[in-house]
Amino acid sequence: MAEAVGRALRRALLRREQMLVLSAAGAVVLLTSALPLARLLTEIPGAGAAALSVLSAFRPWLLLIRSLMLAAAVTACAIAIGVPLGLLIARTDLPGRRALWMVHAFPMFLPPFLLALGWFQLFGREGFLGGEVTARLLFSEVGVVAVLALTFSPVVTSMMALALLGMDASLEEAARVAARPWRVATRILLPAARPALALAAIVVFALSVSELGVAMFLRVDVFPAAVFARLGGIQYAPGEAFALVVPLMPVALALLFLERRLVGAGSFAVAGLRGMSRAPIPLSGWRPAIAAGSWSVAAAGALPLAALALRAARGGGFGKLPQWIGQAPWTSIGTAVVAATVIAAVGLVLGHGAARRLRGASTLDALAVLAFVTPASVLGVGLIAVWNRPATSALYASVAILVIGYIARYAVVGIRAVASVVLQSAVHLEEAAAAAGARFWRRLVRIILPVNLRGIAAAWLLAVVFCLRDFETAVLYYPPGREPLPVRIFTLEANGPPPVVAALAVAHVLMTALVLAAGVLLVPRRRPE
Amino acid sequence: MKRIVLLAALLLLNPACKRTAQEVVVYTSVDQVFSEPIFKEFERKSGITVRAVFDTEETKSTGVLNRLIAESQHPQADVFWANDPVRPFLLVKRSLAQPYLSPSAADIPATFRAPDGTWTDFAARARVLLVNKKRVSPAEMPRSIRDLSNPRWKGQTAIANPLFGTTTMHIAALFTMWGEEQARAFLTALRANNARIVSSNGEVKRLVATGETAFGLADTDDGFEAVKEGAPVEVVYPDQEGMGALVMPTSTVLVKGGPHPETGRKLVDYLLTPDVERRMAESAAHMPLRPDVPVPPGLKRVSDIKAMQVDYARVATDMERIEPWLRQWVGL
Repeated sequence: MAEAVGRALRRALLRREQMLVLSAAGAVVLLTSALPLARLLTEIPGAGAAALSVLSAFRPWLLLIRSLMLAAAVTACAIAIGVPLGLLIARTDLPGRRALWMVHAFPMFLPPFLLALGWFQLFGREGFLGGEVTARLLFSEVGVVAVLALTFSPVVTSMMALALLGMDASLEEAARVAARPWRVATRILLPAARPALALAAIVVFALSVSELGVAMFLRVDVFPAAVFARLGGIQYAPGEAFALVVPLMPVALALLFLERRLVGAGSFAVAGLRGMSRAPIPLSGWRPAIAAGSWSVAAAGALPLAALALRAARGGGFGKLPQWIGQAPWTSIGTAVVAATVIAAVGLVLGHGAARRLRGASTLDALAVLAFVTPASVLGVGLIAVWNRPATSALYASVAILVIGYIARYAVVGIRAVASVVLQSAVHLEEAAAAAGARFWRRLVRIILPVNLRGIAAAWLLAVVFCLRDFETAVLYYPPGREPLPVRIFTLEANGPPPVVAALAVAHVLMTALVLAAGVLLVPRRRPE
Repeated sequence: MKRIVLLAALLLLNPACKRTAQEVVVYTSVDQVFSEPIFKEFERKSGITVRAVFDTEETKSTGVLNRLIAESQHPQADVFWANDPVRPFLLVKRSLAQPYLSPSAADIPATFRAPDGTWTDFAARARVLLVNKKRVSPAEMPRSIRDLSNPRWKGQTAIANPLFGTTTMHIAALFTMWGEEQARAFLTALRANNARIVSSNGEVKRLVATGETAFGLADTDDGFEAVKEGAPVEVVYPDQEGMGALVMPTSTVLVKGGPHPETGRKLVDYLLTPDVERRMAESAAHMPLRPDVPVPPGLKRVSDIKAMQVDYARVATDMERIEPWLRQWVGL
């Protein structure tokens, strides 16, 4: 009898296997991202008229418009830099293009605030290359756009390059028989890479609109600062802060709609067929000039890092590192690796679900996007409200809260990255396995994971780096005595000796470089075709 | 995947994750660069591990305070070491302060101790004008904070964002001293005079030290640091012929319901010793409240300057009251 019940139960579970797996992954997103936001939603009625009056005032809307305009300007500049560079890196005989890609891409893996600090060392009034004019420009909207565009343009470059590298060569080869390189680039390559470009633009826009540190440092008022003023300012008003998040919801939904329309529907290429088999487009006589231009852009992105290193070296900051660095790098790396592993696992299930339009996956994907564009300070206060309870005290008072916070904010990185990888892989293997009777879990582990292993590993690495560069979420609730390195840099920045702060920033740069290098070694290599 | 999990496990088993039986959790808005060495010394002397949460320059004074309030249902901190004497009143008001009369505070002047022991002040700073000597001649040296709104210096002065840090307390103290009308008029005049509203006092120091602005309002420790770094900066204690300079002692509070009350009391006792006041004077240019604690050259004692006579409890009330107006004034 018991055996029969067991068999029936097993059959029922297997029938609902897909739902159960999706639910488990969904529960992670709901617990980490949605619950804190829902908890804060309950604060609005308590805040009453004050919360509503925030939205009836003119100033927050003006700040929102300014933030949207700044983000649009950053996105436009990033596209202007990233599209040509991506094309040059992926499809031409530009000298040293892999090294160029690495140098250019690296700043995007660092906290933008840290780069602003580097630009200040360069172009502040007393900076290495600074004067009154450069300082005025830096501490203005122009400075914010320039710093963020240089920080985020590698997102466009890299997505363009990856899309073009993964593209089936046949169209391009056919075009090259008759057309000149410029025509091939503008009529074949760029239209084919449009979905990747759209995704990159959306990512850059989302990163820019939620960025607080750079704008605050460069004294430009933006919308996230208005939210932050209600959480980090004189009066603690989470209800009002959350009321200010309401206008961001249409922005998140618009981004999601655009992403679905421009990216999801336009799956453009099938990777792994003949992606790498073409000869690069020759730049001919333009090669030296284009190489000089491209390397200048890459070098410009790395300049603030050089400035930080120089400041640290001149002031003896490196010698004082052991005294000030503490355990922060270990906390950073440990929590980032654990969080990224969960994010990749959730991404595998929900990213695949979103790509194949499975029920529920799209809603959870949308929630993750909302958690990403919600100002980090709001999410942080929500996390405190949810997790600081006697029952969860052990988690809240330990590094586990950092892991939870990273998952809450960056689950979207895993979901979207895996979704874009799955979208480009052939669906027929999954269909064949399903026809042969393989259930969801088996297909996930035996088909989807191995086929997309490289992409999923890249998503994991991307998630590690996002967690490493986080500052704004963790600063609100980091466990006492266990702060991640970016938090330590910015708490020490308060009256700390500038060379020591610069040396800590350089240590963060090195830590990120080492993690990336180790990650690249761990990511499986592409099989030779 | 196995390699990844193994790596993560190794990293999380690192020494940073070790928990000790004897520990104390402290939240502080005193600069980490000054407070952390004091915590290390306490660890060395007592064998108790200090786990600290620090503020960033931008959220100074308010960040950890708001965290304390956010965590009030289940406090995580044992001790709050505030960088000004007003924030503790906000904790007292919310019944988050545990009365404790520390034996170490017996020789601190009575005006700097709550009779019920909910807060105790020590090592103080004052609000000062930092003046760039290359940009301002001795004859034109500002003497009052009202000089910030003097049209002679239009566009050449700076103050930190008054929603954060000690500037909040200073502005609130002006409302307490001058009354609503005068204080608002002063701030409106500041705006009209294009005074720069910057992210922090540290930023004011940077701007004055580099000559980007002629002078600005900051704290004594900012001035002391600027002079120590060799910047052409003069520290002016404002309104010495008038209402006096605002003096801001740091303050300790034992948090009610904190997880380690016993070690919390030990840390409070240690912080209130004359030795810590001396160390704060030497490393952070904080003026000792005790008359017999030695000070380094160049640093004044509280008794050497004319201090603004203001009731900190009223300042705390005014600070909360003016907040919406202040936010409008800042533009957030």
